[in-house]
Amino acid sequence: MKKKWLDVLQRVIFYALVVFIAVYALFPFYWAFSTSFKTENEMFRRASYIPQEPTLKNYQYVLRNGKFVLTLRNSAFVAGTTSVLSLLVGSFAAYALGRLRFRGRTALLYVILSMTMFPSISILSGLYTIVQESGLFGTPFALIMTYPVFTLPFTVWVLTSFFRGLPAEIEQAALIDGATHMQTFRMILLPLTAPALVTTGLLSFVTSWNEYLFALNFTITNPAAQTVPVAIAQFSGIDSLQEPIAEIMAAAMIVTIPLVLLVLIFQNRIVAGLTAGAVKG
Amino acid sequence: MNALPSSPANPLGAKDRSSQPFAYIFSGLFVILGAAALAWLVVSVIRNPAIRLVVEGTAVESGQSPSLIIAFLTQFGIVLPVLILGMSALSIWLGFRLRSRDILAARWAQTALLWLAVAAAIAAIFTLIRLGFDYVSQQEQQAAPLNLGQLTPFFVFSGASGVFALLLVWLNRRLDYIFSGKEPLQSREIRQAWNLLIPTLAVFVLVAARPLEQTFIRSLTDKRFAGQAVPNFVGLQNYGNLLGMRLDIVDCRLEEDADRCDLARDGSIRWQSIDRELLQEGFRTVWTIRLPFDSSPSALAISGLDQDFLKSIGTTLLFAVISVSFELLVALFIALTVNSAFRGRGLMRAVMLVPWAIPTVISARLWELILKDTSAGIINRVLMDIGLISAPQAWLSDVSLQLPAAIMVDVWKTAPFMALLLLAGLQTISSELYEAASVDGATRPQQLFSITLPLLRPTIAVALVFRTLDALRVFDLFNVLFGRQQLSMATYNYETLVNNQQDGYASAVSMIIFLLISVFAIVYVRLLNVETE
Repeated sequence: MKKKWLDVLQRVIFYALVVFIAVYALFPFYWAFSTSFKTENEMFRRASYIPQEPTLKNYQYVLRNGKFVLTLRNSAFVAGTTSVLSLLVGSFAAYALGRLRFRGRTALLYVILSMTMFPSISILSGLYTIVQESGLFGTPFALIMTYPVFTLPFTVWVLTSFFRGLPAEIEQAALIDGATHMQTFRMILLPLTAPALVTTGLLSFVTSWNEYLFALNFTITNPAAQTVPVAIAQFSGIDSLQEPIAEIMAAAMIVTIPLVLLVLIFQNRIVAGLTAGAVKG
Repeated sequence: MNALPSSPANPLGAKDRSSQPFAYIFSGLFVILGAAALAWLVVSVIRNPAIRLVVEGTAVESGQSPSLIIAFLTQFGIVLPVLILGMSALSIWLGFRLRSRDILAARWAQTALLWLAVAAAIAAIFTLIRLGFDYVSQQEQQAAPLNLGQLTPFFVFSGASGVFALLLVWLNRRLDYIFSGKEPLQSREIRQAWNLLIPTLAVFVLVAARPLEQTFIRSLTDKRFAGQAVPNFVGLQNYGNLLGMRLDIVDCRLEEDADRCDLARDGSIRWQSIDRELLQEGFRTVWTIRLPFDSSPSALAISGLDQDFLKSIGTTLLFAVISVSFELLVALFIALTVNSAFRGRGLMRAVMLVPWAIPTVISARLWELILKDTSAGIINRVLMDIGLISAPQAWLSDVSLQLPAAIMVDVWKTAPFMALLLLAGLQTISSELYEAASVDGATRPQQLFSITLPLLRPTIAVALVFRTLDALRVFDLFNVLFGRQQLSMATYNYETLVNNQQDGYASAVSMIIFLLISVFAIVYVRLLNVETE
């Protein structure tokens, strides 16, 4: 009898811990969500857990703001193009590094990894010059040009470990049948790594979507090319001198909810991809 | 490709004479390409405006004349000229090999032609995009008709791309006719590998190697940010200024008319400042540490020429050490809890990804709101409801609370993510080990310390390395939360670069951060003995 009682107590404590962790992870998100429905007046009163007079005014304001919608479009374009390009370029490199034998393979892999070691601020000024020389300063293409610095090493690294994990027989059979390396790559190996491609593509997308420093500096002359993080960091309301926090949170929700949904849908794959990249690496 | 196997009756070099002229065509093409690249490099150096200014001596404005080497290095760098020289040498060598109808040379020629065609096509698209943006921005100012002359580079590049593509097709068709022998499987594999690596390497040279080398070169000069002028070479002066430090022993300030140490309002001892001469040299005291062994209170004053930078190093190290240790503890706690089988575990894993998916800029603003210093801030309300604090705290504007607040945000954002990494490591530990341990009568804590933690060590090591390097580079969080009030190394770098426009100085800061991070990485890898392969 006593044993059973202890069991129940253990379970209760366990689920209390689980709930505590969930609240810890989600509460700030919930707080942003709830704030986005509050009126301007309520912001200055004592904090309340749920909105006292829920309103959709903040969302209306944000979505009617042409500039914000434009930055949303920029972000989607930049993040989408960057992840497709780095998948394309990165999968080539990963195939070579993971499946083909040539001298200097390991050294190259480490050179690529070392690209992730320096802070992005340290190449800002050098990239600034390059972007300016290219004539694309202040356009979304300046970002598409520079984001591979973050997305490519990571893509190559994760995809290489996936390619290595595939059995060697697959490719040998194809090569014996007379297929070229390119044909084996395109028709046999690439379809097999589709799950890894989804993961790395998604991670590149999230990284580019969230990037702030380059987006801030390479679009500084042209607000029309700004991405969402920059817009949110600089957000200001129309009619109040105070920071329009409720509106910022509404904007943040619009930006974050699609990302969170993507992450929730693909969570298994993301975890697999990250662990392949970080733990095996 | 109509691949006719070369017959053994037709040995190497004894091919039909009629195909020799074709070999000469390709041979000549590659020699000319190599020579053209070389000539282009020389011409662009000679015609470069900055270099001409230095040569003609008109760049002398500040009395100090910039050197030709610095002008060349800041304009062209090292990597790109070396690459162009190497490529043109290779191209000329390839040309000579093609003349003797070497099949390996022909294969490499195919690879070269393929990427030349692709590069020219990308350049063509690039010029088109650039023209499009120029056109749009001109339209906004005034209605300017599109000048057809501006399209010339586009036509040149797309023409070149077409020519290379045609040559490639032609070479593919005639390969077995012109060249003899068969490419060995092994060299085919090597060639294919480099073929596939070229795009990635090109991207790295352009957006990582070149800017990094520029950072290094500029750190030795007094360059201004986005300035066009040729900077002066200043040697290691930037580094000297950043790292210039000295240690002094200072006594406490005495109270007036008394023999006791003067106390500040918060009860701490007020120390004397360092010598006036040192102050005039630019030294400012960053930290004072009370020495324990003296009977009369004295302190060690650590002073530096760049107070803000030294302070930012201290802040960042403190931030990194504390937040990563907390992250590890929280992550271990979460991972061990979630690792046991229960209903809703998949959902839990998904929930843990939410803080990671929220952009740092947004989470910084979100925490700004949560940590608001009135009772409108939810943290203040929760803590007051529980009874931990009696009055609202000014989390973000009170200097002593800033670092704890930043650590809190960072732990929230990254601990669940780290927990996912640890969780993956936990799942590789076989459950039989635990069963055996239970049979032997080991308690839960014993199991944790003798099975789980040792076996989890490699995973913990990797997670720690990644997280520490990330924490040392922290930028977004400090920039949004504190602006200039509390600097991390990266935000200090940003201040010097963008707000003070001191490119040379900021580059030296970057190099120091880079070196510091490398040291951390190496020490970590050595200490934790991370498996690399």
